[in-house]
Parts: sequence; structure tokens; C-alpha cells
Amino acid sequence: MKDYEIVIGLEVHAELNTQSKIYCSCRSAFGMDVNTQICPVCMGLPGALPTLNEKVVEYAIRMGHALNCHINTVCRQDRKNYFYPDLPKGYQISQADVPLCENGYLDILVGGEARRIRVNRIHIEEDAGKLLHDGAYPGSLADLNRCGVPLIEIVSEPDLRSSAEARAYLETIRSILLCLGISDCKMQEGSIRCDVNVSVREKGTRELTVRCEMKNVNSFRAAVRGIEYEAKRQIEILEGGGTIIQETRRWDDGKGMSFPMRTKEDAQDYRYFPEPDLLTIVVDEEKVQALKESIPELPHAKIRRYMKDYGFAEIDAALITEDIERAALFEACAESGRCKPKNICNWILADLAKYTNDTGQKISQTPITPKRLTELIEQVEKGVISNTAGKKAFLLMMETGREPLAIIEEEGMAQNSNREELRQLVREVFSDNQKSVLDYRNGKGKALGYLVGQCMKRSGGKANPSLIREIVTHMLSE
Amino acid sequence: MRMDIQHIAKLARLHIEAEALSVFEKEMETIVKMAEHLPEAEDALLPDRETPMQLRRDEAEDGKFTREEMLMNAPEVQLGCLAVPKTVG
Amino acid sequence: MNLYEKTATELSDMLRRKECSAAEISQEVLERTETSEERIGAYITRCEDVMQQAEAVDKAIAEGRALHPLAGIPIALKDNISTKGIRTTCASRMLENYVPPYDAAVTEKVRRAGMVITGKTNMDEFAMGASTETSYMKVTHNPHNPEYVPGGSSGGSAAAVAAGETILSLGSDTGGSIRQPAALCGIVGLKPTYGSVSRYGLVAYASSLEQIGPMGKTVRDTAMLYSLICGRDQMDATTVRREYPDFASALSGKVQGLRIGVPREYFGDGICPEVSVAVWEGIRLLEQAGASVREISLPDTEYAVSAYYIIASAEASSNLARYDGVRYGFRAKHYKGLTDMYERTRSEGFGDEVKRRVMLGTFVLSSGYYDAYYKKARAAQQRIKRELADAFRECDILITPTYPTPAFPLGEKSDDPLKLYMSDICTVTANLSGLPAISVPCGKTASGLPMGMQMMAPAFSEQVLLNAAYAYETLCGGFWSGGTVI
Repeated sequence: MKDYEIVIGLEVHAELNTQSKIYCSCRSAFGMDVNTQICPVCMGLPGALPTLNEKVVEYAIRMGHALNCHINTVCRQDRKNYFYPDLPKGYQISQADVPLCENGYLDILVGGEARRIRVNRIHIEEDAGKLLHDGAYPGSLADLNRCGVPLIEIVSEPDLRSSAEARAYLETIRSILLCLGISDCKMQEGSIRCDVNVSVREKGTRELTVRCEMKNVNSFRAAVRGIEYEAKRQIEILEGGGTIIQETRRWDDGKGMSFPMRTKEDAQDYRYFPEPDLLTIVVDEEKVQALKESIPELPHAKIRRYMKDYGFAEIDAALITEDIERAALFEACAESGRCKPKNICNWILADLAKYTNDTGQKISQTPITPKRLTELIEQVEKGVISNTAGKKAFLLMMETGREPLAIIEEEGMAQNSNREELRQLVREVFSDNQKSVLDYRNGKGKALGYLVGQCMKRSGGKANPSLIREIVTHMLSE
Repeated sequence: MRMDIQHIAKLARLHIEAEALSVFEKEMETIVKMAEHLPEAEDALLPDRETPMQLRRDEAEDGKFTREEMLMNAPEVQLGCLAVPKTVG
Repeated sequence: MNLYEKTATELSDMLRRKECSAAEISQEVLERTETSEERIGAYITRCEDVMQQAEAVDKAIAEGRALHPLAGIPIALKDNISTKGIRTTCASRMLENYVPPYDAAVTEKVRRAGMVITGKTNMDEFAMGASTETSYMKVTHNPHNPEYVPGGSSGGSAAAVAAGETILSLGSDTGGSIRQPAALCGIVGLKPTYGSVSRYGLVAYASSLEQIGPMGKTVRDTAMLYSLICGRDQMDATTVRREYPDFASALSGKVQGLRIGVPREYFGDGICPEVSVAVWEGIRLLEQAGASVREISLPDTEYAVSAYYIIASAEASSNLARYDGVRYGFRAKHYKGLTDMYERTRSEGFGDEVKRRVMLGTFVLSSGYYDAYYKKARAAQQRIKRELADAFRECDILITPTYPTPAFPLGEKSDDPLKLYMSDICTVTANLSGLPAISVPCGKTASGLPMGMQMMAPAFSEQVLLNAAYAYETLCGGFWSGGTVI
């Protein structure tokens, strides 16, 4: 079998979480009663006209900056004409020739490796309605609430080469949208959608081959499965001497297969032309610059920085940055310099994460502060308390809001790390357990553990266990 | 230039009767012919900077219209939705 | 003289001086309509609450409230202008029973001013036509001779004013649809500068070309109505923000130093001699009063009709895609599946002229043809625009015939669409360039049919335009010597 390369391009549609729709002032909200969020404009009544929402342009430009795009400060909208019951006007207002943003890129991390994926364009457009089906009625039922919800469409170049890369790309796009606060990215609500373009070619060749577009990819996991299935399907055809038909296919996640969408009698001819009801969009340079400056440090940049500055593994860096409050907490603790970043990371990802998961609270709703966490970790690092005690203190702090030092004091958690005292204790244990000492010196390694245990017992659990072990080991070797 | 009337009719979701087909074709060709003497176009139609558009503030207005008002002219409503024959594909 | 024979200006004065009431005006207009409507057929829908509307105005007058100058004046609206609660059919089977749940921006203005809406007038289906003959609803007859067309597509609006069935009306003009029927019915009609009147609520035909405009018996009447309807509207992104003067009060009637350009391309072979003579007589009249006249040449005019039909059809094919039987309007009774439903609905709902233009528009935008037709048409449009802008450096207004001929008999041209299309040569350049243009009566033919003279001016120069028209009106002793045309 020949060596094949998968070539993937992704089109992501994200609903923007503006207050009003893109071309009218209807509220842009999910989950409302059918056909209650509509007006003559988004319903396409005769005589209705669109008016462009300024926030949509702002949000799109910010995404453009985040993806390193060139911003077209002069652009316009175009009509995409086709007939469908969820498209009231019989055309969608979108952007064809001159999109708002173009020629950008996104650096993603796949298995620790950095890859640059070029972004062809980002443009603004309106969403269509929804078609519902009900057993009682033989046809389709159109709910137009979603008509006119603002969308940005982010189109990548076909630079992705594996399902893992596609996943990383999608996760990164999503994290940026969330970080910028322009979309709530709830795939289950349809606020982020993805169409996947897949083609295969022999490794080493450069030309793009026939591709298939896959729709109905409803989760990132489905994107991965869909890509893998589609690549396999195409390779099988080619290996069998066949040719790939360029078509649009529908991904069925339940069956784990894609099916050709029933081809309409004629291929779609969208007859794009400039939207005459809207004038030119002109954004002034100062505004574009101000929007650029308003972009916070983006998640993937933050991840790279954590990996570089703190030596974290990608997975840990990603988990910390995934939540803005986590990242803020981490950075504040790290900044104090009083404890090791690695430890801060572990405490946040293990103990804190478990706590917030269990209680369903956000970090800001708990008593934790950078000062308190730093103090706690510091006490563990210094050996003032054991790790186990630390975990207990942590829970107490979260549940009661008491300061860590106070808890350690009140609960008597401090462990004994006084070497002189511990040495004395070990000597006492040795003299009481001479047989074990002898056993160890005769090669029975397990005796060491037994002796350590006895020391801990003698100390009532208060001795610093690692120090005990160190002292015991040392004395045994004398 | 010979136009494929059937194809255009399909795109426009119009049904032209067989008898009317050739008449339609002839009429349209005559009209299109007069366009043939238009001068060659210069570069692509660039967006006109002269008339920039004033954009709308992002403020939602609630309760402007009720569902009843909006669907009052609909040929068929079921469960509050616009009912259409089953979509294909 | 009967009240319905008076001008809006006169009636407004009389109301202010309490020489008559709004109810009396409306009463007379209604009675007049009763007697002539069967012959004229100007209205598709006549409002049943005309007297209530008028009485409300009288009540406000009695309470001493300050009212708009046009309060209490009857007005008819073309049936492609949305009126909440009143069916708006566009003279099409497709919208035969469509009742808008909202008012057009101009309708709101008309209501707020306290004008009395008498009804919705007949038109060519979806404003596509120049004779009102493509209406699905009925035939409108020219008040000057009922066997002749009133012009189109705002034929009903023009006929209603000419016949005294209303005092003022609103029409829409995409390629001449206000000016041409005004000319053929002997009244005044203004197509305003593109972007000066809101199109919100105007059922769209060709979005980048059309404007709603006033139609009336005199220039002053027309100017008053234009003042009411013009202005920036936040619901229409193509409207322009600017200060508009009170056009009627600023009418001066002076033409000293007015530079008139006469483009020879608008006086070509197709223009009938009587019309040409009448227009030139008008030009000379103005010249004698102090205007200067120069003949100019606008060669790009030859592209105007093709460019117009390509652009208008392209936009129309898209604007009319919404008529699919799903949300409103006609739906075919028998169909199998969605595509069939669409095709039957649209084929049964639309008339032939509409279908022709939708097909044409679909074609010129279709893959492979966009560059050859649409793009070239838009480029030609730019040339025409530039050529006119250049002409206006040397001229204040241009004068041309409005239409090559007076009214023609009903049924005469409807079998040759191309012939009808070519007659638009005088009017389409104003739509393509977005410039304002007005048609004023300039006499009648030997057989008693009115002819129209068109004046064009630069963008947003309606004051200059209306002044020149007013001057002409004064110089020829007025267009309206009292009475109606029939």
C-alpha cells in the first residue's frame, strides 16, 4: 500500500454572544419558545431591511487579531442565494470577495510539537433558523428564532495533517473564543459548529486532490472520528483503483460513518453579488489598533509561556490556562517566589480541582486566595507539615475559610523536623528493636520499613517521615 | 451565449410550461443581446469608500412583535412553527 | 370648485383658516371616488375608516393642537408600501391576501402627520412594468382617456390624483415608475435622491435603484409631501444623515442664471415629435425668463437601458426569492415535496413579466455569466454616474422628455417587452446614478393626452430641481387651473 498523507481543512462557525442579532435588534438568545424572537427583518417580511450590529464587527476583528490576520478596514457584505425553509429571505447575507479578516495563522501544539496552521479568512454572516421534526406532522417545522444570530466563519487552509492536529486546532480556536469572551462555544447548543474537508494524497506530492466536505460534525470527538473514517474510506477507494467523487457527506456519529448527502438535482450556484441594502463597512485604523491592544494573553500563548518559563508539560499548562481563574491564581502564587511553581501547579490541578468539581463552585466562590495557597504550600515545602496533613489543612481551609497557619496551629499538624530530637528517637527505637536492626544488617531490606514505621509510631505520627527515613537509613549504614 | 432555460428555471424555483419555454427563451435572449454591447469592465468592483455605513448599537429590544403577529400570514402553522413539506437531503 | 379639485396647498390653508373641515374634504374625495372609480380603477384597496381618520384631525384642530401642514389631507399609497393592518398586495397573486404587521417608515410619517390614507393604489406587479397592465388585480385607466394606460408602475397613484380620487399620493420609482405615470396622467412626480427617503417597508424590487416619492397636482404640493417623507431612518442603512430644508417654503420661481443642459441622447429617434416640441417649448420659456441653455452630449447614455435591466433584474431575482409559500403569501394547493411546492407556488403566484425578470436576473448572476453581464453592467453604471457628475459641473439642471410618447392604448405594447424596455431610456439614468428627477406636465397632444418634461439635478439638489419646476409651472400659468382632468 502506498504511503498516504491526510489533508484537512476546517471551517468553524461560531455564534457571537452579542445582545442583539446581526441585522436587527431582536434578542440573540438560545432556547426561547419557537418563533418568539423574530421581527420583520429576520423573518424576511416584504419590505424589511438589515442594519449591521457594530459589536459583530468588533468581535470579528478581535478574533482576526487573535489569529494574526490582516484586517480589511474597507469591506462589504454579499448575498449568498439559495432556497431552504430555514432561510427566510432566500439568501444569506455573508461576505464573499472581501472578508473582514484574512491571511492569518494559528500556532497549535500537538504532542508537544508546535505547528503553524494558516487561516484563510474570517468573515461575518447571519445564521439560519432551525428545522424541527415532530412525529405528528409529516413535514418539517421551521423555527426562525435563530435567523440572524451573528456568526463568524473561520476558514483554515488545508494545512492540517492528522485528526490529532485537527482536534488541537479546534480546541485552540475554542479556547481563544472563550478567552476573548465573544462566544460561549457550547457545541451542544450549536454555538460552535464545524465542517471538515478531507482529502488524501500520496506522501511527497504537493498538489491538492479531490476533497469531500463533511457536515453534521457535532463535537470535537466527532471531528476526530470523522476525519479518521473519511481518510480510511478515501484511501480504500484509491487503493482499489477508484476515484474520489467531490461531494458533501453527512457524518453520522452514531453509526461511525459518513454518507453522501442526497445530491440536489443541480449543484449549488449561490450567485453571490454585493448586498445592496448595506453600504461599505469602514473601520478606522485607531479603532482597529485599540481592538488589537484589548486582546489579553491568549491561552495557547500562555501555555507556551508556562512550558518555557516553568518547565511544565503541555498537558499541565493547558489545564491551568483552561480556566481564567486558575491561571490567575497560579500566576499570583508563582509571582511570590515563595514556593515552587510545579507544586503550585499540582495543588491547583489536584486538590483544588477536585474540590471545585465536587462542590460545583468556581474558584472565586471559594475562600482560596493566592496568599493562603502560597502559605500552605510553603509549609509543606519547608516540611513544617507533611503532605498528608497539608491536604487535610487545605480542605479545612476551603470549608471554614480559616487561615492555613491558624489551622496548622489549632489542629496541631506541625510535624517534628528537629534532627537532634529525631536522632534520639531513632536511637531509642533501634535499642528496642535490636533484632530488626540485625536483620537489616544481614540483608533483610524490609526491616528498614518496619523500623521507620516504629519510629513514626513512637512519635505519634508527628515526626517528619522523610527525615525519619533519612536518619534511619543513615544510622543503619553506620 | 446560449442560456439553459431549464437550468435557470431550476435555480429560480420556477416552473416554465413546455409551450412557454421557447417564447421565454427567445424573449430573454433578445434582452440579453442588448447587453452584449456593454463596454468591458475595469477591475473588480471594489467596495465604495465614499459612503461608509453607520452601524447599529448592540442593544436588544424585547417584545416588539408577538408570534401571532409574525405568523399571521403564514399558510400553515403547526406547534408554533412554519410547516413545510419534508425537506430533501 | 369642489374640494377634491383643489391642491393640498389650498386645502391646508383652508383648514388652517377653518374654511372647511377635514371631514368635508374626505367626504368629497370619497364621493368623487364612488363616481369615478369604476371607470378609472386606481385603487386595489380603499380604506374603510377614511371618515374616522378625518374626524380625528378635526378633533385635534378643535382642541387647538398644532398640526402638520398636511394634516387632514387625503393621500393614497402605492400598494407596495407596507401599511399595518391594511393588505399590501404589490398587485400580485403572490401577496393577494398579505396583511403587513408593521408600517413602512413613510407610512408612519404620513400617519403621524395626520394625513388621511384613502387606500392602496394599483400598480404593475411588483413594480415591474411601465403601464400598470401587469397587475394581477385589475386594470387602471388613464383619466384623460380611459382606453389608454395611465403609465406605470405607479399608475394607480397617478390616476387617483389626476381623477380627484385623492389629493396626494406616494409612488415608487425604480426605472421611471413615478415620473412616467405622472407624465402620462398630467401631474407632478418626483423621484428623490437615492438615500433621502427610507425604503423600510417598501416591498423591494431593485434595492440600489428605487426610492419612494411624492406625486401631486402641483410642484408645491409635491414639495410639501417630499419634506414630510425625507430623512435619515435608522431602519434603512442606505439613508443618509443630513439636514433637509423646508422645500415648499423656499420655492422662489426665479430662474435668472439657471444653467440648463439639454442632452441630445435623450431626444433620439424614438421620441415622438409632439413630445420633443413640447419639451423644447418649455425649455425656451425658461430661457426667456433668464436661464441659459446649452446642448450637451452624454454618450454613455446608450448603455443605460441594458445596465438598468441587468442590475434591476439581478437584484429582483434575489429580492423575490423570499416568495416561497412558507411564511406568508400564496402557496400552491397541490404539490409533492418541498421543491415542487416552491416551483408551483412561484409559478402560479407570479405573472409572466415578474417571471421574465426573475429568470433574467438569475441568469446574469449565475456561475460563468456574472462577469459578462452583472459586472459589466455595474461598470457601465459607474461610467454613467461619472458622466452625469461631470455634466453637472457646467449645468444646474438637465431637461429631457420624461417619456418618448404620451399614453398608449391599453394592450398595445404588452406583447413586446423589449419595445417597452427601450422606452425607459429617459428615466433610468436617474435611478442608475441615484440623482433626483422630477416630471412636470408640459402640455397635451392634439388628441388630449398629457406629455411630461423631466428635470434632473445633482444629488441632494431637490431645492434647485423644485425651484426650476416651480418656475416653469408659474411661467406656463400653472398645471392645475382648477377642476380635474375629467
